[in-house]
Amino acid sequence: MLFNSYEYLIYFLPLSLAAFFLLGRVRASFAVGALVAASLFFYGWWNPRYLPLILGSIGFNFAVGALLRRAQASGGHEAWRGALLAFGVGANLALLALFKYADFAVANARAITGLPLALPHIVLPLGISFFTFTQIAYLVDVHRGRAKEPSLLNYALFVSFFPHLLAGPIIHHSEMMPQFASRSNKRPQPSQLAAGLFLLAIGMVKKVCIADPLAPVVAAGFDHPQSLSALAAWLAVLAYTLEIYFDFSGYTDMALGAARMFNIRLPVNFDSPYRSTGIREFWRRWHMTLSRFLREYLYIPLGGNRGGRMRTARNVLVTFLLGGLWHGAAWTFVVWGALHGIALVVERAWERTGMRLPRALAWGVTFLFVMIAWVFFRASSLAAAGAMLAAMLGRNGGGEPWRDALAHLLAPDAQTSLAVSVAALAVGLAVLALQRNSNALVESFRPTWPRGAAVAVGLVWSVLQLGKVTPFLYFNF
Amino acid sequence: MELPASSGPNAERGSARWLAAVLACVVATLVAAGAFVVWVDPFQQYHLASRFAPRFYFLHHRYINPGLARNQSYDTVVSGSSIMENTRNDVVAKACGGSAVNLSMPAMSASEQRLMLETAFAFRRLKRVIAVLDFNEFAGGIDERQDVAGPLPRYLYDRDPFDDLPYLLSWDVLLKSWRIVRGDTSERFTSDPNAAWYWGNVVRFGRAQVLRGLDLEHLNARYKQPQRTLEGMRASFDHNLLPIMKAHPETEFDVVWPPYSILVWLDFAQRDQLDVTFAFKRYVAEAAAALPNVHITDLQGERTITHDLDRYDDIYHFDPAVNEWIVDAACQRRDRVDADNVVAFERELRDQIAAVRTPAGLRTVIDGRSSP
Repeated sequence: MLFNSYEYLIYFLPLSLAAFFLLGRVRASFAVGALVAASLFFYGWWNPRYLPLILGSIGFNFAVGALLRRAQASGGHEAWRGALLAFGVGANLALLALFKYADFAVANARAITGLPLALPHIVLPLGISFFTFTQIAYLVDVHRGRAKEPSLLNYALFVSFFPHLLAGPIIHHSEMMPQFASRSNKRPQPSQLAAGLFLLAIGMVKKVCIADPLAPVVAAGFDHPQSLSALAAWLAVLAYTLEIYFDFSGYTDMALGAARMFNIRLPVNFDSPYRSTGIREFWRRWHMTLSRFLREYLYIPLGGNRGGRMRTARNVLVTFLLGGLWHGAAWTFVVWGALHGIALVVERAWERTGMRLPRALAWGVTFLFVMIAWVFFRASSLAAAGAMLAAMLGRNGGGEPWRDALAHLLAPDAQTSLAVSVAALAVGLAVLALQRNSNALVESFRPTWPRGAAVAVGLVWSVLQLGKVTPFLYFNF
Repeated sequence: MELPASSGPNAERGSARWLAAVLACVVATLVAAGAFVVWVDPFQQYHLASRFAPRFYFLHHRYINPGLARNQSYDTVVSGSSIMENTRNDVVAKACGGSAVNLSMPAMSASEQRLMLETAFAFRRLKRVIAVLDFNEFAGGIDERQDVAGPLPRYLYDRDPFDDLPYLLSWDVLLKSWRIVRGDTSERFTSDPNAAWYWGNVVRFGRAQVLRGLDLEHLNARYKQPQRTLEGMRASFDHNLLPIMKAHPETEFDVVWPPYSILVWLDFAQRDQLDVTFAFKRYVAEAAAALPNVHITDLQGERTITHDLDRYDDIYHFDPAVNEWIVDAACQRRDRVDADNVVAFERELRDQIAAVRTPAGLRTVIDGRSSP
């Protein structure tokens, strides 16, 4: 089930809230149980066949966590605890590898060896990257003595809590469990419900009214890079730069908003990343919980910045290569991660020179780099990415007049209105320029009537945009 | 850890009031929007158009047909692809008796034909189904749909009112409803319930039209139809159509092989699809032999039609008079094929195709000299 769907907004979320708070009046554990059941229903809505997978994953990691705790309590040998942790983390990674990377691995093995290996074509279960990382972090935290969870029900809620289940944020046990354990959080708090609704409305507008209208523009550009003029190619990449931010951050806002209604505060995941004046700053503002995970559970265990410049550079590159691969099983993601890793290494070297770029120039260079790197993230293959970069460099020549080229890009089919595409681009750029993002807005949220009117209009408009009527597309019979 | 309350009971009360007011506004607006859509009902999902003239929006078959299946009065269904859209309901009623509805849709897949027929059976007791089969609808997997068909609004094909929200709360539908009320005719639609999807009066038929832009050496360069396999076609037929025929022995199924122009068969020959196609026809004949309620009419060897390109808009689509002839043939059970004579029909058609594969034979068709 998606946050931007009728079944979620009209049925699931209100009923889940009602069940949680009504049962919370009876007994706290009932409320937790209801929320676990709702979360599993939310997950199974897409395909119930994968429910055993997440349930098995939860049961396995809870058991390994319990063994780790027991070994720690009984003063078990460090080597045994280390082996137990390695087993737990390895099993999680194996699960991820099987479902996410099997096709990629076999395809590459086939390309290298020339053997006629059959692709397994395993369907990727929704959210597996997120719930696997969340649980790896839990096992490491237990091993470090920072987390313990004696209740399977609470642990199941920690992993499956539906607002973060499919697309993050990636959470820490220590930041969530006290909130789940709080009795007062089982009672409805109008201020939190109002703030949550406010954030949900912001997320809906970002996703439905800015990101979604840009999707056909982006597809039109990235599907046919060979025919794009330089201007059209840059516009397609700019549209994708906006689309991915408003899509992901909008979805995150909806997640944070829904959690807030349950009196749960999820960690912030985006903090105006496109205002960054450097790549390091960008990664402190973009998908912040993934950055935190990679820093704490990969970069620092690799040695972090201890051990000299070369070793630090190596650790940064390894972290970003694997971070890129985490986003998807394709070489395009690996290149995207590598580009960011290299940029960070270069940025560190530049900082050591003591020279500073003017702020505006630093912002421009950073934004330009991030945009160009997105080409690899969005392109269907390295060749397609190359074609898009070539188009951006003007390799396709002038082609049709620039106005026609832009009109074709911005209104590529009968269903896409030029005015809507232009409006989405303009509003997206304007929102980026605003000083306050959704985190700041919700932190200073007060239930004023102008805000109430804005929330009502935003919600109604977004809901009405969900149901598109798309007729038969082939006009030539 | 607890979230900090905003600032005491007064603030909570203020938030509660704000929340109640905002939710009330949102819910009231959405309910009003949904009620307005139900009242106007542009896709006729809850009632046939009566307050306003019906609008059968251009290429919106997949949205409107389930409403027609649900609300129109009929005991006969015409089910086919775009080649059957020019079939008028009254023509069917006159030829076959009873009352009919045409639920055809362009680029229909076998799975969509099944879904459409299942919807009709869910709401009406059917005396007859005229199922005009396109070979291309059996291409690909059993649930394959063509990309050009656009998304299928499955929520309109069931009895569950709770999943109708994409129809009730859609800006697109709301806008159509508003335009109906205002009498705004800026959208393209027809208003004749008897010929909801009729396009025979807005296109030109004729050899010049058929041959325009056509590469006679590679006919599929223009149409880009997918390759079919016998295994795939059989699986799709077994999964999508055969179960419906078996499940409704009280209903007569008139399966029709429609009269494409002979150039379609030339295309099949060019793409090495002839044997697959004929083997599939034999398979359907054998399957139907076990079902007394299923009758097959094969019009594909009718050279007075198929060799006369002036009757076509392109190599597939014929003029509306042919639609009438098809319906009449189906209901009168002319050119009936069964397991015994299917090979004879095949031989006759193969001979015609062989003739057209010669330069002289093709020239005869192109020049119109083979017309009756």
